[in-house]
Amino acid sequence: MNRLSPLRRTNLQRVTFPLLVLLSVIMIILGKADQVMLESLRTAVADAAAPVLEILSRPLSAFADLATRARRLVSVYQDNDRLAEENERLMGWQQAALKLAFENSQLRELLKLTPEPTVSYLTARVVANSGGAYVRSVMVYAGSENGVARGQAAITGDGLVGRVSEVGSRAARVLLVTDLNSRVPVVVEGSQQRALLAGDNSERPYLRYLDTGTAIRIGDRIVTSGQGGVFPPGLPVGVVASLEGGTPRVEPYVELSRVGYIRIVDYGLADALPKPVPLVPRGSRRGERSGDGQGQQSRR
Amino acid sequence: MKAVTAPTRQRADNAPARLLPIVTTLMAMIISIQPAPIPGYAAVAPAFTLMAVYHWTIYRPKLLPPLSVFLIGVTQDLLTGTSPGINALVMLLARAIVLRLRRHFVNRSFPFVWTGFTMLSGGAMLFLWAIYSLLDRAFIDIRGTIFRAVLTISLFPAASFLLGRTQRSLMSTG
Repeated sequence: MNRLSPLRRTNLQRVTFPLLVLLSVIMIILGKADQVMLESLRTAVADAAAPVLEILSRPLSAFADLATRARRLVSVYQDNDRLAEENERLMGWQQAALKLAFENSQLRELLKLTPEPTVSYLTARVVANSGGAYVRSVMVYAGSENGVARGQAAITGDGLVGRVSEVGSRAARVLLVTDLNSRVPVVVEGSQQRALLAGDNSERPYLRYLDTGTAIRIGDRIVTSGQGGVFPPGLPVGVVASLEGGTPRVEPYVELSRVGYIRIVDYGLADALPKPVPLVPRGSRRGERSGDGQGQQSRR
Repeated sequence: MKAVTAPTRQRADNAPARLLPIVTTLMAMIISIQPAPIPGYAAVAPAFTLMAVYHWTIYRPKLLPPLSVFLIGVTQDLLTGTSPGINALVMLLARAIVLRLRRHFVNRSFPFVWTGFTMLSGGAMLFLWAIYSLLDRAFIDIRGTIFRAVLTISLFPAASFLLGRTQRSLMSTG
């Protein structure tokens, strides 16, 4: 520590304060203008801090786990009865699902449908949240080293969380569907009406660009439409929860503010071309690279 | 609750004790960005960092220089994904205001110190809300901001108690 006389110290502080205020203002303006620089700075800091944050977040989550366990212990009998009953019901559903899956695969065979790209999962821990009402994002402790890439979907068992917006080598940022900058192409299940789910930093994002006169009801399920190629179709997002002022608002299935672990999913949609499928008959599927190639050869 | 008495003359603390304000402010920053399994928590996470800045600016202003406040603020901005500089600016201004009014707060009863913090955090939250509304060119729903301010203010006594205890046990009281 430098030993300055009290007077010189005060003088130094008199200069540093306005300088730092100025620097803050410049940073705010620059951060708004130069997103690329900001992002690299942010990922660098996140990479450095993520391991520390991960360790520090452990006691809190351990405590939370303990509390949950204690709460569950109280209702263990009721839970058991309820689960047994639910299990009974789900067994019925499982039979139905197996039958449908078999039927589905047979129909796909009949239609010669291209198999969907293989999906790879990665589970990452949430180590920091945005801590404020103005940005809805979380930091996860997994980065490009683990195969996380920008644009991948972030989900939990309940449904869509958001998408990966920034990636460092060890940490990544997930933009939640509630953020002001989040736009997700969705479809209203049942009516197949397309819309855009837009966040506005409130707990419930709203639906934009719905056709006028669309019959939409509270309780309608909203799933991703797969348009735009970021999310695969059919991921559950939420249910329509209110229609105040003619704007349908969607309650996400995932309780976004208390997500502890997130699954980052690589649907292989980023490198868009599907794998060649030898069984495709000529001309039946356009846009299929190998199919097109074969088609052209045979025409010659 | 008894207010921490400020030193009449600044006695030399040992090196670790001199770092206490910076370390605790840094810890407060880390705590404030921790995810908590409480519904809706992220949006209203209390501004623990502001509490630490307020406390140390009253009781040990020299040990929490503007540069450290700035760096902690910028780090918080970068880690939370907000525009960098915003929290730094708010905390620098808060520090400057408290420093100017400091003589009114030292050696005063806790309710007085708490009232001071209420006004400061209320102002800081409104300022934050105004900046973000300006940057996003949209009126952001103010309810979240109000709730966050209320939560921050109501948790201040606990934070102040903890900071005071650490201060008394590790630093000379002069």
